[in-house]
Amino acid sequence: MKTILFVDDEPWFHESLRYALEPKGYECLFATDMTTALDLLDTHEVAVVVTDIMMPAGTKFPNIDSQETGFHLIRKLQSERPQIAIVCLSVIGDESKIRPLRTLRLDYLRKGEVPLATVIQTIERAAGDGGERVWRFS
Amino acid sequence: MRIPNDHKATIQPQRSSGEEVARLTAENSALKVELSEARKSNQQYLQNVAHQLTAPLGAIKWSIEALKDPEVSLSRKSKLLSSIYSQATILVHLIKNFALMSNLEADLELGQFRERPEPVDILRLCINLANDFQPQAAENEKKIVVDEDSFAGTLQGKKVQMVKNLVAQALSNLLENAVKYSDSRSTIVISAEQATVDKIGDTLVISVRSTGLPIKTDENEQLFKRGFRGSTAKQKVPAGTGIGLYLAKRVMVLHQGAIGLKTTGRDSRFKLMFPLSRLV
Repeated sequence: MKTILFVDDEPWFHESLRYALEPKGYECLFATDMTTALDLLDTHEVAVVVTDIMMPAGTKFPNIDSQETGFHLIRKLQSERPQIAIVCLSVIGDESKIRPLRTLRLDYLRKGEVPLATVIQTIERAAGDGGERVWRFS
Repeated sequence: MRIPNDHKATIQPQRSSGEEVARLTAENSALKVELSEARKSNQQYLQNVAHQLTAPLGAIKWSIEALKDPEVSLSRKSKLLSSIYSQATILVHLIKNFALMSNLEADLELGQFRERPEPVDILRLCINLANDFQPQAAENEKKIVVDEDSFAGTLQGKKVQMVKNLVAQALSNLLENAVKYSDSRSTIVISAEQATVDKIGDTLVISVRSTGLPIKTDENEQLFKRGFRGSTAKQKVPAGTGIGLYLAKRVMVLHQGAIGLKTTGRDSRFKLMFPLSRLV
């Protein structure tokens, strides 16, 4: 069973994702800040991290601006845990902030705007299921 | 050119054209900086508003899509329906705040209420609002308690002459913040008392007390400005419009009252203060 870790301080968003992913055989974990997410990664083998951008960093990272926590988490994961696939789900309206993500190896989807089925398919592909991975940026 | 005598008195001492250009250039630069900051703050505010409106709608949209999924169990579909209801409640509250903001600006300019003030049982209002927010509070095992004895002792059976919808929204904004920023498993208390306040005199004070996020004392005044969010609040909940307290303050000004905040460490007490003359 593959594990998906959702990192977001608006956890109600992920109820629908969880309910659609669990019947497909995925285990879903949840963290509402970066500190908790990294703690969970120390104790669980996670295939995909699905992360927001604007969220609290938590007790271990008091100097990180909560408007940019996701960027820090993504950089940390890509340098320290490159085997984990990343899907970024966010509703940031400022295009200039999102642009740098285009150069990274990850999918970026607009939370709540992209159809749920597309997000499920993207997560499945990121987990190595459901065909060849194509980076999505929509 | 000859200047008539009666005009001479108003003529300023001549500066050199170089000095004048330097002065105007400096003034122009300062105005440009001010304008750019105002634009930036407005842009940030609009982005926050857009995010606050988009997030619940997005969650509702995905929940509806999940409801259509035949693999999702009935019990989970029932949870999704509750979640849709919660998100819709959040949206209604937000939109009411925006509608209220535009009405309030107009009322304050006119110096009068759009709606006629009426005698309101403020204890009943507080109990109803506490019940409205109870489900949201219960998600993190928080409780909202109305100290009914304090109301009975303070009001002595009297009602408060006010615009119910406005005060309800102001109180809702205080409760929403208390629920959002207080500790899990903590208790939020709504109480009433009488107190003497500078510039207003004797007042009826309705307080919302909670324990949780500390508020920086140097931010106390700014918290009531439109779009301002406290630094600790932003760290805990990055998204927010920053208009709840601003609106609550405007509502109280319109009632010839005031809003106040007292913090001690992690304890915060937001107060709505009505002049005692409003007790009927």
